[in-house]
Amino acid sequence: MFSRWNWVACGFYLLLNICSPDASGGLVQSCGHIIPESPVLALGSNFTALCILNESCLDFGNIYASQIIWKIKNRLVPKEQYREINRTVSSVTFNDTSSLATPLTCNILADGQIEQNIYGITVTVGLAPEKPKNLSCIVHQVSRFTYVMTCTWNPGRHTFLDTQFRLKYRWPEAVFPDCIPKDVNNSCTVNDIQFFVNTEIWVEATNALGKAESDRLVVDPIDIVKPLSPQNVSITSGLLPTVLQLSWENWISDAVMTLKFNIRYRIAGETNWMEVPPEDTASPRTSFSIQGLRPYTEYVFSIRCMKEDGAGYWSDWSEEKTGVTIEDQPSKGPPIWRIIDTSQSPACWTVHLIWKALKPYEANGVILQYELTVRDKSSLSSPVKKYNVTGTNHTSQLREGTYEVTLIARNSVGPSPPSVLLIPASNSKAPVRNLRTLPKHDKLWVGWTAPNNYVLKYVIEWCLVSSSSDCMIEWQIAQGDVQGIDLKGIKPFKCYLITVYPLYADGQGSGQSVKAYLKQDRPSKGPTVQTKKVGKAEAVLTWNHLTVEEQNGFIRNYTILYKTIDGNETVVTVDPSKTEYTLSSLTSDTLYTVRMMASTDNGSRTGPDFTFTTQKFGKGEIEAIVVPVCLAFLLIVLLGVLFCFNKRDLIKKHIWPIVPDPSKSNIAQWSPQVPAKHNISSKDQMYPEGSFTDVSVVEIEADDKKSFSEQDLKPFDLLKKEKSTSEGHSSGIGGSSCMSSPRQSVSDSDEGETTQNTSSTVQYSTVVLNGYRDQTPVQVFSRSESTQPLLDSEERSDDHAGGADSTAQRQQYFRQNGGQDETNTDRPCFERTKQITHANEGDFVGFVQLQISGQSSQPLGLGMEKNTQEAALSNVLQTCTEGQTVRPETVEENPLSVDEMPKSYLPQTVRQGGYMPQ
Amino acid sequence: MAAAESPSAALRRRDLCSRGIRLAGKMRADVVDLLDAYVEQQGLDASASVAAVEGVPLAAVERWDEQTGTQRLLENLAAYRAFRALLAQMLEEQREQLGEADAGLGRALAAVLLQVSAFAYHLEELLRLESRGIPGEEGDEEEDGPPPPPRLSLFERKLRGLGVLRELAQWAVRSVRDLRQLAKPSPATGTAPGLAESP
Repeated sequence: MFSRWNWVACGFYLLLNICSPDASGGLVQSCGHIIPESPVLALGSNFTALCILNESCLDFGNIYASQIIWKIKNRLVPKEQYREINRTVSSVTFNDTSSLATPLTCNILADGQIEQNIYGITVTVGLAPEKPKNLSCIVHQVSRFTYVMTCTWNPGRHTFLDTQFRLKYRWPEAVFPDCIPKDVNNSCTVNDIQFFVNTEIWVEATNALGKAESDRLVVDPIDIVKPLSPQNVSITSGLLPTVLQLSWENWISDAVMTLKFNIRYRIAGETNWMEVPPEDTASPRTSFSIQGLRPYTEYVFSIRCMKEDGAGYWSDWSEEKTGVTIEDQPSKGPPIWRIIDTSQSPACWTVHLIWKALKPYEANGVILQYELTVRDKSSLSSPVKKYNVTGTNHTSQLREGTYEVTLIARNSVGPSPPSVLLIPASNSKAPVRNLRTLPKHDKLWVGWTAPNNYVLKYVIEWCLVSSSSDCMIEWQIAQGDVQGIDLKGIKPFKCYLITVYPLYADGQGSGQSVKAYLKQDRPSKGPTVQTKKVGKAEAVLTWNHLTVEEQNGFIRNYTILYKTIDGNETVVTVDPSKTEYTLSSLTSDTLYTVRMMASTDNGSRTGPDFTFTTQKFGKGEIEAIVVPVCLAFLLIVLLGVLFCFNKRDLIKKHIWPIVPDPSKSNIAQWSPQVPAKHNISSKDQMYPEGSFTDVSVVEIEADDKKSFSEQDLKPFDLLKKEKSTSEGHSSGIGGSSCMSSPRQSVSDSDEGETTQNTSSTVQYSTVVLNGYRDQTPVQVFSRSESTQPLLDSEERSDDHAGGADSTAQRQQYFRQNGGQDETNTDRPCFERTKQITHANEGDFVGFVQLQISGQSSQPLGLGMEKNTQEAALSNVLQTCTEGQTVRPETVEENPLSVDEMPKSYLPQTVRQGGYMPQ
Repeated sequence: MAAAESPSAALRRRDLCSRGIRLAGKMRADVVDLLDAYVEQQGLDASASVAAVEGVPLAAVERWDEQTGTQRLLENLAAYRAFRALLAQMLEEQREQLGEADAGLGRALAAVLLQVSAFAYHLEELLRLESRGIPGEEGDEEEDGPPPPPRLSLFERKLRGLGVLRELAQWAVRSVRDLRQLAKPSPATGTAPGLAESP
């Protein structure tokens, strides 16, 4: 309890001590302090601090040195570094100050728990200044009388402390104020510098940890001057075209400093400076004459100076001044060349004389005119032609021959030496050999091997090869002792044609040409390939050469790349001279993609893709298939025909069963004496008015099909037999028509089709529409030679007939070529119609019509009256019901000629004046 | 005297002479420029005649060519010490009169004062090489110091300044001649150089 109160009192006392004014008048009185107060320490050194407690605090607060703890920036210092010196003093020791930080505080643990700060100090750690090194000074001339000295030095390592540098200088008998750098620590500028006295200069660096001085520099400031460059530089032309005089003013009087100079100059527009030999300008002066200049050339001059004895520094170069030398006469004649155009006539030349303007250093002035002289050497009597030309070309019409052309350039001072060009009648001399080119950076070197004879000059022509314009010739002359020149102005990626002519004293050699590129690139586009012909396994590709502008280099080869959609690409290399190539071993009926690549030495470019499809069949394959097939088909047909022809009897027999001979039927008696020949010459004769001939109608009761006994059918068999005996005499078409009708009537299912098939080929019956006397005429059909199809009216009649009757349970078949109405054959009665022609017996035309009961109306729109027909039908029906008796309705005999009369079988019961349907 | 010199001493002497000659030449040039500025700034007439300034030894001397080297050096040293004191006084008066209004003239005066000091140092060094004691300055010799300059009017001060600068210019010319004379290898005879050698 006591202890607690004691500590409370102690804390209160400390608080009072801190807050109450002390004896010295301060507001704060702490219970202790640290020695040393805010020290500056050398980095890496050791350091010991003492915390001293006030006695008053000891007495009242019961605090002792043993309770002191040290902290660095709130970090507790290990107690191993503490040392209790006595009851009021505690020390802490740091072996390396680099571990120190600010603040270092002395604290006390009251009652072992409450931490109370006693005192704190700021610790500054740094380095002593190093000795400044490399002190150097330079005196700059600022104006005519003003000089400033700037000294620089190396300040050494960073000290981490506030370090002050001072530049000190003095004379032996005088000390000048220090120069203190502003914002920097490595240079300072002195303004009141005085010459001709050795001045001692040094740098002093000072901080809290020490002071260091640089080595002493003893120098007369006059020896370290960098003067201002000469001013008011002027250039005047001298009397000579190769001399210019340079004048200037110096900023420094000789009393202060004598100077030497450097003079440099260059031709205006060029970059390289030339310099006057230094020894020529090593003495004080204010002017200098520069010699050896080119006439009429603009020069740029600049000058600088320094102390004559070489001590100090060169001034900056003065501002550039230009001057122009005066003119001189041209130093050489212009290079001249010719282009001879013999297109008009070989004997008459159009000679283009061309020459190059002299270079400025050759012209030595302004060329006023060129004096051209053309002398015909082949004819001494020819006058010399003289021309004054202001341009650089001249065209003359000359006859073929040898000419000497002389050219002189003239300026205001005088003429140039003459240039002479010999134009021989022919270039018969030896050419250069081994002409070759080699790119050299931006120039194209052209080299050759000289001919054996002495060559005066070489003329090198070159031109840019273009597909769209003519070759614009450029040329250059080289001396005879060289074997190669550099062509300038050559563009990369362009093709040049270079020709070299040797010029001899007595003639001219023929030109040798070579194509060259300064620099090659890959083509600007690839060839466009397309197919010329596509086969089953091959394709002929064709393309055009790239233009010279597109080539960008020498085309070394073409590469064809082709592939199927899913196949690997195949590569074929083609000679660059080709424009066509045949791809072989292709797969038939396959889509191919092909493209083409042109390659130079520097790369390739591919053209657009082209697709094509190979053919399915090769050439002749279709023919090889179709022709044999056709031939085989024809052969088969032929064989079939032959077979059918050979077996026609069998076929006929099989297809057309023998129609029973009605004459042999037991239904009626057929009279063989019936006139077998009916010589019918015409229809009128055949069918006289109101009469029918050879018409037999058999009516059979359809409902009583069973009533047909074999016996009843015998007459048909007989007829069939008779037919078989006469079939060899039947006429082709008529016979077939006659034969087809029964067949159709027998086979109902095939009726329609068969009938239709035969309708186009079977001759039709002739329809006789005459009535008998006053009666309604009855339509009767007879054979017709016509091959026309059935008339629409007939077909409509059929339709009408087909739809007319459905109630009578009778069907009537009127068998003609176009028999039909199978819809009405639900219960067919057997019907046969047979016409047989017996050629041997004469031409009988018979028309047999079997009408089957149940047929409600006359098919094909026959003109038979319905009532009449019905009457007849009723008769037939009656006959059928009575016992298959057939009553011929109408038979009218009509005499016919043997040739024309159709043959027919007529029932014997039918006679003249017998029953005829009406 | 010259025969007794060591090579380094001879070199040093030649260097001092050479440097002194250049310094005197520059000093003269600067003083001439300063004279123009001073006349203009002080509103004086350049052609105004000024009586001899008290305390300044005259540059013109009879039988100059008969003087010995040491004598020349001593006369030069006395003169330049006097100039140093006068120029310092002028500089102070100038600052009092114009303040910082004409800093250019003040800088020029200070520069000339430095040159005078430097030249005096050269002369002292040469005298040391001559193995002669350097005479103490008047101020050192007299315990009371130099007598206070008479109280002059402003115009009189201007005229005195003009006279000081003119005489300094004269002395600069003479000093060049003296040092050239000293720089010759056989100065013992005291033969005076020709006038053609004047700068």
